[in-house]
Amino acid sequence: MRKHCTMTELLAVRDGEASVWAREHLTDCPHCQQELELVHQRAARLRALPGRRPPRDRWAEVRAQAQRERRGESIRRGTWGALALAAGLALMVGIRSAMPGGTDGALAPVASAGDVQLASLMDESRELEAALRSYGPDGRVLNARAAGIIADLEDRIALVDAGIVQIGRRGSRDDLTDLWRSRVQLMDALVNAHVTRASYVGF
Amino acid sequence: MTRATVGVIGVLDDIAVEQAKTGDLTALERVYRAYDGMVYSLARRICRTEEDAEDVLQETFLEVCRSIRRFRGAGPGSLTAWVKRIAASKALMRVRRQKYRDADDLPEDGALAGQRAPDVGLQLDLEAALLRLSETSRAVVWLHDVEGYTHEDIAEMMDRTVSFSKSQLARAHQRLRTWLGGE
Repeated sequence: MRKHCTMTELLAVRDGEASVWAREHLTDCPHCQQELELVHQRAARLRALPGRRPPRDRWAEVRAQAQRERRGESIRRGTWGALALAAGLALMVGIRSAMPGGTDGALAPVASAGDVQLASLMDESRELEAALRSYGPDGRVLNARAAGIIADLEDRIALVDAGIVQIGRRGSRDDLTDLWRSRVQLMDALVNAHVTRASYVGF
Repeated sequence: MTRATVGVIGVLDDIAVEQAKTGDLTALERVYRAYDGMVYSLARRICRTEEDAEDVLQETFLEVCRSIRRFRGAGPGSLTAWVKRIAASKALMRVRRQKYRDADDLPEDGALAGQRAPDVGLQLDLEAALLRLSETSRAVVWLHDVEGYTHEDIAEMMDRTVSFSKSQLARAHQRLRTWLGGE
């Protein structure tokens, strides 16, 4: 026959889930009554422990990362369609202008070296975006310096994207190729920034 | 309402909460200022180090920024519970991820028995005893006895069973009882 309540039984009594045996035992056992009182006292002392203040203000980092995520989402989802449309338009204009009756007035291959180069840069940019997604950048905590570098790169990519859309409407393939090259370089730097940071924290 | 929420409701009003739900960063900063102490305190009680608790603070408010548009509650009271739930989940995720060395595996009984010899009269204070618990036991006792979560809530957040939560609570109390003596 057991002498006293276990801790599990005392907690069950406190939380209103006790067995009949435990409840009856407690009415007659000063030892278990005292242990139950200690349970109550411990919980009260825990609740009375002072709160803590964070040693540093983290809002600047939270804000920077929230903004970065919003921009990143825009880069990854919102602008690709517009960029591809702009580039496609430029390719079509380039091809048409190289056809008989076009502004160049001479025959040319349907897909010139310039067209191939532009298409290649677009593919490279798309691959870098896929690589960026694979690192799951939105779910990571960044320090202020890393967040600043990444935010700067994303701002520059956003500017390049605006240029691509604008120039794409005019159909200037050479300018467009330069912008896509810049985009690839910036995307490459952005992926590297995430890879470096991921290596640093050991993920 | 727990001690940690006292004062928060006076800082945030319904309008601020509605503005924050639009994703407005100025309003979200008010949410941060209102709750950063509550979140950090909770995280600090569960995580082993100050740095981990700071990371939980940052992760919690990033999640708030991401998800507040989907927050369906109305008013600061439900926002408090929502933010606290995110903080608890983030802290528990960090504990699981980091796989801290479990203090329960240390030779605590022998070492402490020596320290607590009756003629010396030394006992751990409550803060030190809490720190000596394993992360899991400490998290359960804190979430249940201080924050008021049920065993069902804790089991869900920890991805464990209700029985696991109950046994961890009993284990935590037993050890605190041993280390703190007659209190």
